[in-house]
Amino acid sequence: MKPIISHYGRTCPHQRRGDSDKMREGGVVVVNGGAEDHQQSGGRGDNNGDGVAYVLDIYPLSSYYFGTKEALVLKTESVADMLHRLKANYEARGLRTCVGAVILVELFKHPHLLLLQVRNSIFKLPGGRLRPDESDIEGLRRKLSRKLSIDESTDDAEWEVGECLGMWWRPDFETLLYPYLPASVKKPKECTKLFLVKLPVSRKFIVPKNLKLLAVPLCQIHENHKTYGPIIAGIPQLLSKFSFNMIEAESYVLCD
Amino acid sequence: MVNTSPVLNTYPLSGYTFGTKEPKMEKDTSVADRLARMKLNYMKEGMRTSVEGILLVQEHNHPHILLLQIGNTFCKLPGGRLKPGENVGHLTYANFSYSAEIQGLKRKLSSKLAANSPALHPDWQIGECVAMWWRPNFETIMYPYCPPHITKPKECKKLFIVHLSEREYFAVPKNLKLLAVPLFELYDNVQTMSELGEQLIFKLELEIERVYVTLDLL
Repeated sequence: MKPIISHYGRTCPHQRRGDSDKMREGGVVVVNGGAEDHQQSGGRGDNNGDGVAYVLDIYPLSSYYFGTKEALVLKTESVADMLHRLKANYEARGLRTCVGAVILVELFKHPHLLLLQVRNSIFKLPGGRLRPDESDIEGLRRKLSRKLSIDESTDDAEWEVGECLGMWWRPDFETLLYPYLPASVKKPKECTKLFLVKLPVSRKFIVPKNLKLLAVPLCQIHENHKTYGPIIAGIPQLLSKFSFNMIEAESYVLCD
Repeated sequence: MVNTSPVLNTYPLSGYTFGTKEPKMEKDTSVADRLARMKLNYMKEGMRTSVEGILLVQEHNHPHILLLQIGNTFCKLPGGRLKPGENVGHLTYANFSYSAEIQGLKRKLSSKLAANSPALHPDWQIGECVAMWWRPNFETIMYPYCPPHITKPKECKKLFIVHLSEREYFAVPKNLKLLAVPLFELYDNVQTMSELGEQLIFKLELEIERVYVTLDLL
């Protein structure tokens, strides 16, 4: 029997016989039982959702490379100054929209979220505020390249932006955030949208010198509002519908 | 490729008719009993797989979620355990067949909320799965991921959106109460709602976060 080579040149030592026609392109059937896609099995005229299980391919942290670039200029303003600035911006431009990327890697067989650590105690998702004229996706790509790549490239293919996982709303300039827009709030001040961003099997991350890029396990983030704030602490719940297909590092093993 | 958010139509509570039917007693009288029975079932059948439905109606211009209340304190979403036969194939991880879990949820919804006669069952329209929770041990705590180093989770629970039509006839077992609870108010009321017991508020908070739907209030 000839070896079964996957798209990335790896073979799967645990390939089940007869599964080769079901193998997704670029994927390897995972050792620890990741879910397979299930196609909608013939309608009885029912609306049965889209019939496909949510499966996310994630790759080991070790398959990514990390370098640095010049430091980002960070605002050093007081809380009062910041509030003033936000109010002025709101008067001029209306609702402030921010985007954040949910990027996952595998480590110790558990999904880890990529976070940027700013000044020792502040953790942020890669992302930031949108410019008035740009779309969510454009803005997110721009921010990702600025924080995680060599420059603000205009290459659309660089970041694969997936679905919007959730939105957080700020009814007022004070820091209270809600995971929905309360019906009584007619003029929200800020909206933060979280998007799933899918990584390729490997890439190089270039991070500004004054930021740290961390890979934090979901089990540490879950409900940990105190350290990470409500948006990041809520991410494991936003991701819960996904089954993670944790793809192993490259290996060349011939099947029998 | 960004998916557009799913649209969920919600209809006024007044459009629904509520009747009663014979009581449906809980199999366990305490949390401890429940966990003990879960352990027994695990020995026989392996990981427990369960499904629950999120049914939304509209009242006072706010979406309300339908909950079943047992006694005075304990609330839950309509749903329950899938029978071993309803899981085709392996019982590990999230590998239960999608169509089997849809059929199982319809069965559970009818059991808890529909009149006995099959002709009077609502035509349940099951939407997307919005969450999946894992129970690593025979304890009440569940997580939105399978915790690291847990190779033998005891339960996996999936929550689905259910699309109701404008008019339905529900028949609720006499010993249960069907509540319509304002969905978004739960978020601010974690403390009072924690009397609802178990992990309900825990789970419902996640629904609030995850149910990124455009509610078409008609």
